[in-house]
Order: sequence, then structure tokens, then C-alpha cells
Amino acid sequence: MSDLLRAPAEIKYAEELDWLESIDDNPKPFSWRLSPKMVRLFICGSERSDGLDREISQKWFGDRSFVERSIVTLASDRGLLLIGDPGTGKSWLAELLSAAICRNSTLVVQGTAGTTEDHIKYSWNVSMVIAKGQSRESMIPSPIMTAMEAGSIGRFEELTRSTSDVQDALISILSEKYISVPELESGGGDDNIVFAKPGFSVIATANSRDRGVNDLSSALKRRFNFVRIPVVTNKKSEAEIVRFRTEELLRRHAIELDVPPTLLDVLLQSFADLRASAAAAGSDDEKLESALSTAEQIGVLEDAVLHSNFFGERTLTARTLASSLVGSLTRREPEDLAIFNKYLHGVVEPRSKEEGGSWPEFLEGGRDAIATLS
Amino acid sequence: MSGSHENSAFAALRGQLQDAAATFADGPGALEGILLGMVDDVDRAAREPLEIFPVCHHSPASALAMARRLREKQPKVVYLELCEDMAPLLTELRNCRLPVALQAFAGDVDGFPAQWAPLSVVAPITEASAEYQAIAYALDTPDVELVLVDRSSDHVFRWDRRDELTQETETEASASEKPAEAALHGEAVGVEIGDLRPRFAELEEHLLRHGKVRHWSEWWHQYVEVPLGTSDHDTYRQVMFLIGSLFRRLAPGDGDRVRVDEDRERYMWTRMREHLAATGTDPADCLYVCGAFHAASRVEEFGVDGSAGTFTISPRTGTTWQYGLIPSSHAAIEAQFGLASGSVSIASTEWTKSLKRTRVQPYRLAGQAGTKPSRAKKTPGRKTAAGVVLTPAPDPAGADRLTGFLQRPPVLDRLDEAELLGWSVDIVRAARRNGYLASTADAIAVFETSILLAGMRDRAKPTPYDFQDAAVTCIEKDRVPGRRDVRRLVEIMMGGDRIGQVGYESLPPLARDVYDRLAPLELKLQQRGVQRALLDLAARPELQACSDVLWMLRRLMPHGAARPIMGERRLGERSVQESWDLALGTHQRALIELGYEGVSLEQVLEQRLRREAYGPQATTATVLAAVEDATLYLGSRRLADELGTHALKVLAAERTVDGAPEVLRRVRALLAYYRTNEPVLPAWIEAFTKTGYAHYCTLLPTAFRDEDATVGQVAAMLGFLFSMESLALSLGCDRTQLELAVAQSHPEDPAKTALLWAAQVQLGTLSRTELRDRCAELLDNPLVVPTYPRYLSGFVHALEPVPGLADVVVEAVSNAFARLPDPVLLPWLPRLITTLRSGAADLAPRLIREAGRIFPARLAALDAWIPPWRAPQTDPFAARRAPQPDTPQGATLLRARPATCDAVADLLGCTEGWSRPGTPAPPPSGVGLLSAHPAACDAVAGLLGCDGEWTATGPVPSAATTLTTRHPATAQALDSLLTGH
Repeated sequence: MSDLLRAPAEIKYAEELDWLESIDDNPKPFSWRLSPKMVRLFICGSERSDGLDREISQKWFGDRSFVERSIVTLASDRGLLLIGDPGTGKSWLAELLSAAICRNSTLVVQGTAGTTEDHIKYSWNVSMVIAKGQSRESMIPSPIMTAMEAGSIGRFEELTRSTSDVQDALISILSEKYISVPELESGGGDDNIVFAKPGFSVIATANSRDRGVNDLSSALKRRFNFVRIPVVTNKKSEAEIVRFRTEELLRRHAIELDVPPTLLDVLLQSFADLRASAAAAGSDDEKLESALSTAEQIGVLEDAVLHSNFFGERTLTARTLASSLVGSLTRREPEDLAIFNKYLHGVVEPRSKEEGGSWPEFLEGGRDAIATLS
Repeated sequence: MSGSHENSAFAALRGQLQDAAATFADGPGALEGILLGMVDDVDRAAREPLEIFPVCHHSPASALAMARRLREKQPKVVYLELCEDMAPLLTELRNCRLPVALQAFAGDVDGFPAQWAPLSVVAPITEASAEYQAIAYALDTPDVELVLVDRSSDHVFRWDRRDELTQETETEASASEKPAEAALHGEAVGVEIGDLRPRFAELEEHLLRHGKVRHWSEWWHQYVEVPLGTSDHDTYRQVMFLIGSLFRRLAPGDGDRVRVDEDRERYMWTRMREHLAATGTDPADCLYVCGAFHAASRVEEFGVDGSAGTFTISPRTGTTWQYGLIPSSHAAIEAQFGLASGSVSIASTEWTKSLKRTRVQPYRLAGQAGTKPSRAKKTPGRKTAAGVVLTPAPDPAGADRLTGFLQRPPVLDRLDEAELLGWSVDIVRAARRNGYLASTADAIAVFETSILLAGMRDRAKPTPYDFQDAAVTCIEKDRVPGRRDVRRLVEIMMGGDRIGQVGYESLPPLARDVYDRLAPLELKLQQRGVQRALLDLAARPELQACSDVLWMLRRLMPHGAARPIMGERRLGERSVQESWDLALGTHQRALIELGYEGVSLEQVLEQRLRREAYGPQATTATVLAAVEDATLYLGSRRLADELGTHALKVLAAERTVDGAPEVLRRVRALLAYYRTNEPVLPAWIEAFTKTGYAHYCTLLPTAFRDEDATVGQVAAMLGFLFSMESLALSLGCDRTQLELAVAQSHPEDPAKTALLWAAQVQLGTLSRTELRDRCAELLDNPLVVPTYPRYLSGFVHALEPVPGLADVVVEAVSNAFARLPDPVLLPWLPRLITTLRSGAADLAPRLIREAGRIFPARLAALDAWIPPWRAPQTDPFAARRAPQPDTPQGATLLRARPATCDAVADLLGCTEGWSRPGTPAPPPSGVGLLSAHPAACDAVAGLLGCDGEWTATGPVPSAATTLTTRHPATAQALDSLLTGH
């Protein structure tokens, strides 16, 4: 496990999953490794009232009903489409679901403008084809086809980023549950058709901000159940998410560094302020280009932690946090810096005078960062 | 405490709980106290001789248990936890379509802070509620008495802290924008029977989390409604006592809230004991219906045998309360009491289903509107109605039914496939109708997902809430603003929001009167929604009365209740055709609340007009508005005169000119109206003109100088003074007053200065030429140019008092456009536009008309056009003044009438006689004088620097010489004047 930069969920939580599987006596749909209730337990964490011998940590933070609806969709005939703003944890939820249900979350197709139908169905190993002709052997199955053959969950990230004709390749997969390979001769058997095994389903994610890029066709829409993941606005839940993800990142980088709770508050508060100012802005020039999602908060904190670890005194300070906040969120040269300047002098400065704490240092760090960047 | 109950029915349960406390809390302590205390509460309430029937609001299980119990016990007296002063309203319920709310309303308060007014308390009643069962039973069964025992509406406000109440209302209102149905109760404070909800946020959160449900209504449905739906009376009672006790014991120590609750309990028990003593009823024949929370009360007064005389009911305040029924709706109830959206509708559906399933015959008020006639009422009396499934004969009262209930595994409602299939098909159809791409495949998916979701949440039968989640998951793919979302569609499908209606008979006299008077329109005005009324007043003059009512409604009701689409009513104007959008059914509450103010629309309107006119904030403008409304809507000369006389007093007391523009506008309109419609002007308006003239003259100099008075206000004052001048002068005012006032005015502001100049032109103290010169000077002076636009603003405003100045204003504006530099002109343009727009009705047309007259009409003509003020000035009298040697001025006339001429000459003392035409023209005048006094002429020439010599002229003209020789004394005097000697 240590030689992987980022272990997929099924490897990372292998031991937990094994244990849950061993105690799971609820009915399981298809070839699922865990029953729906256990999948929910794995993702949402356990409580004392669940009566388990060990504690299962919460891995995805959000309303339980979203998780339930997602699990139930996968147990039904339809694919699952998770929709939400960037940074709301759609992909993480998809990964956890795949890991819990079939212990394989790596069968992923990444939707881009360059994604072709081959990436969804299959392609050919050209040298093999030249050497041996077109056969199942010389065929390169896509992750989705692999999932069909294995009866597991295939994932399609950023579905709406791929073009409409490519998306529509999923229609037949989701309704007929097979892929025909016309290049192969039938030969009496079913060699030219790849059938899906029970347990196969697709989890797709789509960014609600990009939905207009390549909107789904009605035919595809009706083969998916949509679960909308809202942006976390609850400060308490957001703090939990940031803490959880940062700890994970620190573990991954093998860094031993504490994030003081006061600094976490400073980070959360500054994001809340910036979001409020973005909401009140009249034009795009008056708000930061960044979406200010929870994921970006984690990014800022990670940046600050890494910086303090490698270039600082191995303790996270408000100054470093401010400079990484300004550094990470500045995307446009004069506009974003102007917004930060306004924010620091209009909001942070009065607050540092009133409340003190880490704010004065934060203010100073922010000023330095702006001075460096300007 | 528990020791004294060793032998009671709950001894076994007590023992078990003690053990449980010892196990989980490591020994006796607080937990044991709470658990055993709860059992004590249940025991105590169950043993009370006066049967307590605990209920929860909007709970079909409570309603069902109540219906069963009433049929079984047939009590003679029913005590109900509801404001005692609302009792007379209850019988009116039968005329209404439920849900409606009982309302107590106080427009004028006495004993409360004035800013609390108006006070309003509502108690909504739905059909699926235990209280309705009790009311229907008691009212329709002979010899049964219904006694409301809770504190009066007055006490609701006396005991509760108002700041809390307002805070609650505000948070509710701001939580989301309430749709119209949810706002049916207005700003009223809600009271309801059986408010049962954890008071600890943490406890509720804990229950929701472990119940795997999202909100409280869902928890209640799953863990209380369903298990209690089929239980017997004792179990029902004990479980409800237990829940009430649990929420009571696990509550934060909110002192005020607990105090109010306990006072209410004392109040109710005191009232019940009083009633029992007065009537001598046996407590065993009575039933006390109250919230489960109050059943677990620990006050001393609790019970028939509780301590008496320790609680004194405080007297009510002097506030006069009025009572009525207002329409309510499920959404309004949910919004008022913080219930989950759709929960009351779902409860209502559950109630109908439970009735079918259990075949319990519910009670319904005879003649209840909006329901099918109940068979139950045909068999009143103590006999059990046919078809009632009687529960097994109960054990002796107080037997422990709690242990069994608590030990029983969760009741799993059987999966009702047919029902779920029906729901799935219905929701797909509803979704399709609302523009969703839903198909039969979706119905299958919803069905399957509902079952799977319910399974995940440990229930066999999907609840409506599971179904809602499943429908959202499978059907909702897009979110289109303005389109109903699937969640809402499910709510509608599950019974939807039901909006009540108050029947005609239960309406206050005013509302009935309105409906009666609008009957000629032949519209179903009681129905909700907008209806179009067309009034052809020329063809059907009898509709004039309807039109009058509609105009009054428009004045009195909220926006949208009566909206004129065509036709208007202004002073002196009446339409021959009118068309109205009427939504009286939708705004029934407002109409009913209007009924609290008086018995007829006219009375209410008069009261309101008086209130507005005599209020402490009343200004002259508002009083005049009231006069106008009295004339317009009531046609009441008496009221108009009274209010007008009051306007006079208000005007005399006013020390600011803020309302001047409005006063001017209204007075002008009223004057015009009276001049055309009345033989003589009312005395008040004459007095008003006189007083106003003097008043504004007095204030004028101050207003010109006062920085707070705007140009518009000063212009309106001048407008009043100039346009009312003739009337005022005819009534004995003196113009000198105005002239002095203008002379005293020395404004500093350029705009006001311009206004003053305009006033001076009007008064004749400044000529137009001088005004033009002043404007030109301003433009020529580079130091003043930046302020020129402000002068122009003043001139534009001056169009109001001095409309004749329009051409000068057009000239000034045109010059500004022609000569002002852009940096000065451009920033001013927006202000010009806003000034014109605000006074659009008066100023802009005048200016445009004048500009249209001056400027060329066609573009082609523009090149050759020269503004009139730049054209060479032609003297209109030049022709007359030009010398006409052939025809001496007037000579013809004189010759034609020689006798007249002679007579005039005599009068003037001319004795020279007629001169003959053809005599040489007299020499130039003055020359004679010069030659007569050459020294004086030389002196003047020296002064003027003329060095030339005298030139000889022809024969010395005679006229001047003759004159000087004839009057030598005068000539000498002149000489000395000119020469200085």
C-alpha cells in the first residue's frame, strides 16, 4: 500500500471491507460483495446503535438520503448519474460505491472532448490484428466492457464533457446490457457479443456548471437516475470534510504536522467571506474566478501544509495559510489580486483588530503574498 | 417517588427500567430518575378519575382513537384544550369546508403596547384531527356539552412574550418565500391542540438519525402513527402519556416556556373543576382532550383532586376581541407550525385510508360543507353505530399495556403493492403533464426504487416519503425554474394542499353584504381563483351599485383582490364600461378581517378615512387624500366637509413644506371638481385657499433659503400661490403679501434663484428681456457656467407655477445645449431627464409643446432655421412709430371729427387753433434750445470732447425760441441747471 501514491478506496479500506463482508448476513443483490445496508454503513460510517464490534469511519459527508438513493439506483436497472458543482465529492462517492459493491473502483473512463466511442466499447491491438486477424484476443476492451464482463461497476467521469455521439454509445450498453462486436464473425457462438453479467452498472458524474457543454440526450437521460449533490454550505460539515481529507493527504505524504483548529476556522471563515462577496458581486470581474468549493479549500490547506513542511519550520502558520490562499486562488492577474486586496483591507483588517488571534498574522501573510505577486 | 407505586400496574415495567438504567448508566442516577419518572407520569395520568385523552396535532391515529373512544364511552361532557373564548364559533364549522381556522382578532388594543396591534390568534381545524372528532361528537349529540378550557386569546398575548412570538414569525417568513396558500393565516399567532415535538434539538436530531428519517413528521408517522393505528384505547393512551412525559422531562430548562405551559395546565384544571362543581357532573362521564405534553403535567392543580384555590385566573385586559372563521390550508398549517412540507396532506390521506381499513365511523358535523353526508349522524345517541370494529374489551383501567408495546418488535406495515403501483403510475402521469419526459419505464423504476429504499430504511412498506425520494431519483432529470419539481408533484398527488373555505352563513355581516351586493354580477365569487367581471354601466345602470362596491373593495382589500382592468374612477370621471379581475375567494381572509371592523364597507371605509385623517402622522396631503376618497368612493359631502375642515387645521399647524406638491395637486383637483359639480364652492375649500395663501406666503422666504426644502417643493408652493391667487384675492387676501414674500426671498441655491426670477417675472417685477439678459450673462461668465444647469433645473420646475414662461425655458435649455461645454452638460442630462420624468404629467408636455412650436417640424427645415431669439429683433410698434409725413398720425381722425377735436383742445387748454396742412415741418426739437443758450451748449460739448465750432444753420426755427421767449423764467431755470451758474 505504501508504494502507491494514492491507493484506490478498495485497497485503502480493504481490511474494513473484508470485515464488513464477513459479518454481512443481509440479502445481497446480484453479485454484490456487500448488502445495500452495509454499503451505506461503509460510506456513512457506523454509530453505536448499529451494534458493531468496531467503528467504521464516515468517508463521505453529506445527506444520507443521497447515499441511499445512489445505492438503490445501482441495485435497480438504471445507471447512476451524480450531478453537482465541482468539488462536491461526486467522484469520491462514486469511487466509494464501486469499492464497496464490487471491490474495483478503477474501471474508469474519463470523459473529455477527445473521448471516442472506442474508449467506451473496445479498440484493437493493431499489431495483433495484423499478426492474428481480428479476434477476441486482439481486442482491447474498454473499462466499461471489462466491467460488463466482470459484473461490476464501471465509472464514467465527467460524462457531459464528451461529445453527444460518444455519450450515446452508452444507451445500448445501459438498456440491452451487451456490446456487439460486428468485426468478429459469430462462428456459431456468442463470440461477437459481449454480455453484461449481473451486477454490472454504470456510475457517471457530471458537472452541473458544464451541463450546457454537451447536454445529455433524452434517450440517455431516461437510462440514468439523477442524484444531485448540493454544495456543502453547513460550516460544521465542511470543517469535517476539510479535516478528514487533509488528514488523508498528510498521511499520503507521510507528513506529521498538526493543523491547529484555529487555523482551520480561519480558512473556513475566509472561504465563507469570499463566497459571500462572490454572491454579492455584480459582474465576473468582481468575483474570484475560482468556484471556492470545498475541494479548493482542501487544496489551499494542502499547499500550506506542504509549504510549511518543506520550506518552513514544520508548523503551519497563519502567514503560510494566507500566502497559499492568495497564491492558489489567484488566476487572473489584476482582477483576482484586486479582490484579495479589497478583502484583506475591508474584512480581514477590521477583524484582526477586533478578534486578534491568528487574524493579524493572516493579514500580514496575505499582504506579503499580494506584494510578491503584483 | 417510585417507591410509593410498588403495587401499581407498572411495577414490572419499573423493575425492568431500573435494571436498564443500572446497566446503561452504571448505577442509579439521573437516567433512572427520568425513566421511572416517566412511568410515574403515565401511571398518574392513567389513574386520573377524569379520563384524560392525550392527542397529537394532525395525527390520524389520535383522530381514529378518539372516534373509537367517543363511540364507546359516549361522554356527557368533553373538555377541550382550546381557547375558551372561541367556543361560540365552533358550531359555525359546519358551514365551512375544512381546513379553516378559528380566529380571535383585536384591531384596537387596550392593556397591550399599541405597537402590537392588530392582535390575531388562529386555531386551525382539519378533518383528520382528534379535536374535530370531539367537536363533531359533542355538537351533534344531544345532551353532550363541549367545554373549552384553555386560556383565552387575551391570555395568549398576556402570558407569552411578544418578542418571542414576533421572532418566530419572522424566521418562518424569512426561511423561504411562502407561496400564497402558505400565507393564509397572515401574521396571526397560531395555537393548536397537542403540540408534541421534542424541545431539545439534539433529541430530535438523535431520533431522526436513528429512525433513518429526514424530518419529524416522518418519524412520527413511522414510529407512532403506524404502530398506534391498530392499538386499543389503553395502549394508545399509555403510549401517548409516555411520549408526552419523555418530551417533558427531556427538555431544556426554558423557564418562560415551562411557566406558560404550567400556567395553562393550572388554568385548564381550575376551569374543569369549576365546571364540575357548578354542574355536578360525575368526572367519570367526562373526557378531557389535551395534548399529550399536558397530560404528563406535574403541577399541583393536576387532577380532579388536585389542590384547588392555589391558582387565580388573571382578568383579561380591556381589549375587545372579535371572532370569526378564516380559510386555512394544509400549507398554511405546515408553515405556521414548522411541519414538513406535505405532512398535513399526507396525514389527511392516511386518515381516509385508516377509516377504510378499520371501518371506524368518524363523526362529522351535520351539514358539514365539502364532505359527503355521514351515516353516523343518523344514529346519534349512546348506541354503537353499525360497522364499528370494537376493540377487545379493555382490561381494568390502568393495566400495564406499555410493557407489551415497548417490547413488541417494530410494526411493519405490509407492502401494499396495488397502492404503490397506483402511486407510481399516477406520479408518472402527473410528471408528464408537467413537462417531464417520464414513461412507463419510469413508473416501473419508481416502484422498484421505492421498495428498495424502504428496505434500506428497515421498512417493508414504502412510506409516502420513501416514495417521494424514489420519484425524485427516477424522474427528476432537469430543474427548470418555474416548473413544479417532482417532490411537489408527489405532495399534490398525495392529497395535495387543501384550502378551506368559510361558508356564507359563517361569514361576518360585512362579507355577506359584499357577496349580496355583488350578486348581480352572476359570478361564483366564493370560489378561489381570478374571475373576470364585465360591467356595461350604460346598458345596465343597475350595475353601478356593484361598481361602487368594487371600487371600495379595491381601496380596502389587499392588492389583487379586486383589480380594475378597464375603467377608472377619478374626481369628476366615471367610466361607462368597466372590467375587473376579482379574486375574493382567494382573499377571503382579508374580507373576513374587514368584517371585524364594521358591518358595511361604507362604515369601514369611513372609519379608515377618519383614522388616516386624524392619525398623529397625518399631513395635509393625507387628509386631502381622505377628502378625495370620501368624495370618490362614498359620495359623502358630509364626511368630505368634515375632513376638509380638519385639513385646514392640519395645514395651519404644519411647519414644513414637504407635502406642498401633493397638496397642490389634490387641492387643484378638488377645486376643479367642486367648480364643475357644485353650485357653490364648499366653505372649507374657500377657507383652505385663504389659509393656504397666507400660510405659503409666510413660509416662502424660509423655504427659499432652507436647504432641506427642494426646488420641487418651493415650485409647488409658488404654484399654489399663483394658481389660487385669483380665488384667494376674491376671498379677501392681499397680493401685497405675496409681493413682499417674494421680495424677502434671497435664495442661495441656483435652482431656487432661477425659480425666484420666474416668480418675479410672473409678478411683473422682472421683465422677460431682463431675465434673458441674466441667462446670457450666466453663460458668458466662465466662473458661473458650471452651475448653469442648476439654474436650468430651476427653470424647468418653474413651468409649474409660471407656465407662461415656457418659451424662455425652451430658449434657456436650447442655449445650454448649444453653448455649454460637454463636461458640464453631460452630467446634468440625467438630472434633467429624472426631473422631467418625475413631473412627467405636468412639466414634460408643456416643455415639449413649446419646443414643438419653436423648432422646425421637418429636418429639412432645420438648416435654414434660425432660433427666434437669435433672429434680428423686429419692433412690433416700429410700423406705427415710423414717421409718415404724408399722413400725420391721427390727423385724419382729427380732421374727420373737428368738433371732438376742438372740445379736446379746449379741455387741454390749446388755443392756437387749427394749422393748415402743408406748413413746413417743425425744426428738430432741442436745436432751438441749444442756440438760445450757446454757453450751456459749449459746456456740454467741452464735456463730451467736441472741439468743433458752431455751424450756421438756416433761419432760426421758431418753435423753441417762441417757447423760451414766452416763458422766460423757465428758460432761466433751465439755463442755470445746464450751466451750473
